[in-house]
Amino acid sequence: MSYHQVAGTRTGGKRPLRRFADAAEPWFYSAPVLVLIIAVMLVPLLLGLSYAFRDIQLLNPFSGGFVGLKHLKALSQDAAFYRALKNTLWWTGASVFLQFFFGLILALLLDKPFAGRGIAQALVFLPWAVPTFLAGLNWAWLFNPVIGPLPHWMVSLGLLSAPNNILADPQLAMWGPIIANVWWGIPFFAITLLAALQAIPRDLYEAAAIDGANPLQRFISITLPFLAPTIAITILLRTVWIANFADLIVVMTNGGPADRTQIVASYIFTQAFRRLDFGYASAIALVLLVLLLAYSMLIVVIRQRLIEKD
Amino acid sequence: MASIELHSVGKSYGDHPVLEGVDLNIDDGEFIVLVGPSGCGKSTLLRMIAGLEDITSGTLAIDGQRVNDLKPKDRDIAMVFQSYALYPHMSVAENMSYSLRLRRKSKEVIDAAVGSASQKLGLDPYLARRPKALSGGQRQRVAMGRAIVRKPKAFLFDEPLSNLDARLREQMRAEIKRMHAELGATSVYVTHDQIEAMTLASRIVAMNAGSVQQIGSPLELYDRPANLFVAGFIGSPGMNFLEGRLSQSNGVSEIVLSNGIQVSLGRHVARADGEMVTLGIRPEHVVAASSGTGVEAQVELVEPTGLGVILHLVVHGESFKLFSTDRMLMQAQGAIHVTLPQSRLHVFDKDGVRISEDDV
Repeated sequence: MSYHQVAGTRTGGKRPLRRFADAAEPWFYSAPVLVLIIAVMLVPLLLGLSYAFRDIQLLNPFSGGFVGLKHLKALSQDAAFYRALKNTLWWTGASVFLQFFFGLILALLLDKPFAGRGIAQALVFLPWAVPTFLAGLNWAWLFNPVIGPLPHWMVSLGLLSAPNNILADPQLAMWGPIIANVWWGIPFFAITLLAALQAIPRDLYEAAAIDGANPLQRFISITLPFLAPTIAITILLRTVWIANFADLIVVMTNGGPADRTQIVASYIFTQAFRRLDFGYASAIALVLLVLLLAYSMLIVVIRQRLIEKD
Repeated sequence: MASIELHSVGKSYGDHPVLEGVDLNIDDGEFIVLVGPSGCGKSTLLRMIAGLEDITSGTLAIDGQRVNDLKPKDRDIAMVFQSYALYPHMSVAENMSYSLRLRRKSKEVIDAAVGSASQKLGLDPYLARRPKALSGGQRQRVAMGRAIVRKPKAFLFDEPLSNLDARLREQMRAEIKRMHAELGATSVYVTHDQIEAMTLASRIVAMNAGSVQQIGSPLELYDRPANLFVAGFIGSPGMNFLEGRLSQSNGVSEIVLSNGIQVSLGRHVARADGEMVTLGIRPEHVVAASSGTGVEAQVELVEPTGLGVILHLVVHGESFKLFSTDRMLMQAQGAIHVTLPQSRLHVFDKDGVRISEDDV
């Protein structure tokens, strides 16, 4: 405070231009970044949001007018949207849980020393390097009974009564993209959890072993508390990513059969790039944005609570 | 409380042996200190007793029962780690009670054990705190508290004081000694600090390069080191070693140092005339004499320690040290006269093994 007062009295007598330059100086320094952020992030975001309140259809040259809440009103009565919302929950929940579960097991296995661990670690991380588009095509072929082995194996295991394509079965279709997503996303959890595991001091395990803890008790009282922050942040990130992640679904099922695998993100894609109704697609995107923001805020608040309690 | 017996215990990683044939009988209530330079295998030996390392050969028995293949938790021992290894997500009380809770002891038993341990260690005000809110010395106390609540058969300490500053180390050293006197628990303590070894041990096990060099009481190791390694390792400043040749005349042995000076041992040493030997004398046993007696030595360097003074001396090209509490020596310069009292001389043969006084 005192510094400002001193500075104020000193510059008080200067010319207005000089005072403006002093005040604007920090803004000039940060201008390149600010301009970049505004041009690259804020403008497209606001433009996209504005579409939600306009009638924008690519094939209709007379569209473009302001329609207010018309899209949102239509959305509130759109059964396909509600189904997509439900599918999104299912798709996100199952994918995140299974990716986390298998990723944790993989990380625990890779944390133990064994011959060829270096190669195994490198191989495990391979799926992450495969483009999702290729991964989707690959899995679609694997599920195809004409060229892929999976349906026949599932019949042998008794999981299916006949070697049909589960991607064409309304009851089972969602499992196709979920399995592909789990395969593709396990490395993310395995990498981050393995890094967290390796940061746990070994002598804690030794102290616990001497104290009489069996492996499960050591896992619960040492490993889990150490992993908790990593688990919280990775699950938060993956949930948001997967909820927005339509690549695999678009490639493998295109939302079918009969919209059974349509999630909100793929529904937006369909509305925008197949029906070419950008206005309505933007309205859905707006809702998805609000939902994910609410979810993130919730997690941030819960995390803050936990830290304070600590 | 229990005894621990090690019978030709060995350890190797593949073809590479790190510990060879360790024989050691630790009596009930003894305080054994394993001491030696880094990498001498002392920590490995301790971890083998704890069950954290496999035993490659030999037998380890606690209370007469072979425990080679028992898991750490079934050996009923407690260990204090150099890093303390406190569970960071548990409070001090939870840290101390963890082992009892795992054993499903009743709440009254746990509270009583934690209460008496925390009182003994002065931890009462900190029971609800997490380890990260404690100072190094307090963490050290918690680590010890965690060990004593269990009333184990034996305590193992792995360099427990090396992360503390000098003053705190001194304080905790005394506290460990007091605790041992109070509990009378069999303890095995690893350190590279010879002061800790001397002050704490009922017996010291001096180790070097994976094998035991000498086992004995602190004063035994100080007064009669079994070989050059122990002689040089125990004591600070370290023992002076002077190489020479044995010369026998009229039943009394003499050592002719490489610079030609003759040192009479005042006794007969049963070794061949002309054999190469090493003469050892501790700096605190070298006596600064009045001029006219002893040999003349040039003062190279004077190191005051507060308690006394360390003089770096040179006699005809042989350098050695003198430690004295005589403050007058602080002003020493140029040449002084020193004598080497015969009763304080140690003689080691060409293999570095002590030539015993009884070996006539």
